[in-house]
Amino acid sequence: MSSAILTVKNIIKRFSGTVALKGVDMELYPNEILALVGENGAGKSTLMKILSGIYPYGSYEGELLLGGKVCKFQSPADSEDAGIAMIYQELNLELDLSVGENILLGRYPRSALGFIDWKKVHREARTALDMLGVDIDTKVTVRNLNPSMQQLVSIARALYRNPSILILDEPTSVLTEKEANSLMDILRGLKDKGISCIYISHKLDEIFALCDRTVVFRDGEKISEYTKSAGYGSSKVIEDMIGRHLDAMYPVRKANIGEEVLRVEHFRVAHPFAYGKSIIEDASFSLHKGEILGLSGLVGAGRSELVSAIFGALPKQAGKLYLEGKEVNINSPIEAIQHGLGFLSEDRKKNGFIWTMSIRENMTLVCLRDLVKGLFVDKRKEVQLAQEYFEKLSVKAPSLDTQITNLSGGNQQKVILAKWLMSDIKILMLDEPTRGIDVGTKSEIYKLMQELTDLGISIILISSEMPELLAMCDRLVVLGKGTVQCEMLHGEANEVNLMRAASGT
Amino acid sequence: MPSTSQKPQAQRNLFRIFFDWFLRRPESGIILILVVFVAIATIVNPTFLSLSNVVNILRASGFTMISVVGMSMVLITGGLDLSIGSTFALGAVLCGLAVTDWGMPVPVGILIGLLLGAACGTVNGFLIVKTGIPPMIVTLGMQYALRGTVSVLTKGVPIYPLPDSFTDLEPTKIFGLPIIILIAILIAIIGHVSLSRTYFGRSVYALGGNQEAARISGINIQRTKMLVYILMGVLVAFAGMMTASRLGSAEPSTGTGLEMKVICGAIIGGISISGGMGTMFGAALGAVFMEALTNSLTVMRIDVYWQNVVFGVVMILSVLLDQYKRSLIQRQSIKNTELKKTATETTSGQ
Repeated sequence: MSSAILTVKNIIKRFSGTVALKGVDMELYPNEILALVGENGAGKSTLMKILSGIYPYGSYEGELLLGGKVCKFQSPADSEDAGIAMIYQELNLELDLSVGENILLGRYPRSALGFIDWKKVHREARTALDMLGVDIDTKVTVRNLNPSMQQLVSIARALYRNPSILILDEPTSVLTEKEANSLMDILRGLKDKGISCIYISHKLDEIFALCDRTVVFRDGEKISEYTKSAGYGSSKVIEDMIGRHLDAMYPVRKANIGEEVLRVEHFRVAHPFAYGKSIIEDASFSLHKGEILGLSGLVGAGRSELVSAIFGALPKQAGKLYLEGKEVNINSPIEAIQHGLGFLSEDRKKNGFIWTMSIRENMTLVCLRDLVKGLFVDKRKEVQLAQEYFEKLSVKAPSLDTQITNLSGGNQQKVILAKWLMSDIKILMLDEPTRGIDVGTKSEIYKLMQELTDLGISIILISSEMPELLAMCDRLVVLGKGTVQCEMLHGEANEVNLMRAASGT
Repeated sequence: MPSTSQKPQAQRNLFRIFFDWFLRRPESGIILILVVFVAIATIVNPTFLSLSNVVNILRASGFTMISVVGMSMVLITGGLDLSIGSTFALGAVLCGLAVTDWGMPVPVGILIGLLLGAACGTVNGFLIVKTGIPPMIVTLGMQYALRGTVSVLTKGVPIYPLPDSFTDLEPTKIFGLPIIILIAILIAIIGHVSLSRTYFGRSVYALGGNQEAARISGINIQRTKMLVYILMGVLVAFAGMMTASRLGSAEPSTGTGLEMKVICGAIIGGISISGGMGTMFGAALGAVFMEALTNSLTVMRIDVYWQNVVFGVVMILSVLLDQYKRSLIQRQSIKNTELKKTATETTSGQ
């Protein structure tokens, strides 16, 4: 075996109190495409941030060797100079500059007089694009290109810096299958030209087709390693990725499922970043009274966008919505609330709570309309109601008038939940309700979900934590490639077939 | 066993409790500023606190306070209105034309002025809500367009003389106080109550605190925004007409630079420039402070040209104060977020 060009030696990365990487060893060989797989939180991104210099030398333990020499990156620029180019999941191009300007950004050649030598800029950009074998005019503004073209421009930009290692993080998430295939051909071509790649993806089918070696991460450790030459097995890889058991955190689900309350038919929702594309092409499913329905799928499958569109928070491009058999038209959250829908959004800080307000004011935001008596808000009734839910959900805070920013994430989430519970809802959509929340509060939220369904409320649950989905949901709808891939009942779903359905293998 | 030595202790505790309560009030900043300022101004020139001067300050404060009430609501939603100076002039001019050239009775003239204010606010609100152009740009454009309309209507000539029944309005006194400050206080009280006690008021705060969260919570963002700009227009047009009544003529150049004084008064009164925070009571005191400042500069015989320098500095200082206050509140939230972030990074990878 030839000597490695990149060696990761016993790297440990700690965040205040928790350990994200627990002593990882890894090598990258010349002319190799290496896949990194693992669930969210496995430590892939953390390792890549160390490689690309975002976490500087000294903020981690262990060593990074490039061609046998220890690297001490202080910034992403150092990493770039050392020949590591990273292509991020979200495109970071300057949309209003031309293709050529983007490719050479920050490295413009100067003429003798000190001006930018534009002829040379476009010539060099052309060379970089030719390496990829793509024919894009270097003078076109990037905004006018479609997402896959933009992706290629960012790869060309990385290549212009003449890297020996190319890191790609979920590069195909905005691409169609055909575009993804041509990207993979390009990567194979680069491999032949002597560039090694680290390829991060959730899509196992892509990985098995493309990568020479696959490293599985879990809980900050390298679990196993498979080579293409020895043959891949998707169930082995998935087992390694999951590798843990359901714990006693979840209540035993007792469901009492009634008639259909909500039916979504042929929803189409626009892609949030990729202009002109739909993240949800055609999705249909139904929800029953007292049921917890899980929406599963990979990051970028459009789960959040789908529920946002049902709630009227995002515009839908097409589709019909039926509530208790009657077609309804919901175009704004106001209408959704009038129809008895509630929506706990994914990002608490962005659109969950109002940080200038107290616990009480945040709690009564939705139901305040019903507390108006004459001209004024009935403050006594407001306090009474807020106090009731404050105690019911055992929010830990000095008083109702405490600013919400003084609470922990879990207690903030309880306040936002209270906001919806106080209003008269029939359907509650929870988008990652337990993200970044301590274990104790998590288990309280699960119990609450059970209680709500006992009362006949139906829940749609989105979660990236598979054990959570498997334990809590009566039925699972798997989203992928813009549509519903399959539906599974509580008993028949397990981590392996769920992951398979989501990753398309 | 009660002893005599416990009494001063209890008093001290009472004082402490009061002091804590006072500091926690959102208005404490402006009250302190106002008290310190009045003290300094009086020491420099004792006539500052004479009855006639105080009445003068209050009379001038009336006009500013009426506009500050509207501006506070706009600012709390996270908006801004730079067009008020022109609406102020246009309201006065249109009302002046109505009661002179068009021979309309005074109440109808005032109604026309108020409707004009509402119309200007509607245009502002409509453009901001429907086009998504930043409020600063929309209202800056409106400032010029409306000021231009004033020039077109008047050809730059003041509308004069106005009928006695109109010019008699503003100088009226009740219990020895100029009517304008009483009207302003009444408007400020209504503003305070509607901000703190009504659904509309809560929507205004929610909007400025976090517009997306407010939208998802079913608050009608577009309607709330429209309403605050309309109220702003109506109030400032009214202030403009009252100024015309005071001067006895509708001047095409009145209200130039008004937005500066009004925004400054609102912010120094504790309204946050970034929205979501502040009370009407504080803002009303901020209006009084701005007039006290103007007056004291005049009493101290400081050159008019220097006054603008002072206003500019006060404006920047008050925004600085606002930012400091916000950072105090947010510091806690950042601490929480950081904890959350590390938790998320270790559990979800990104």
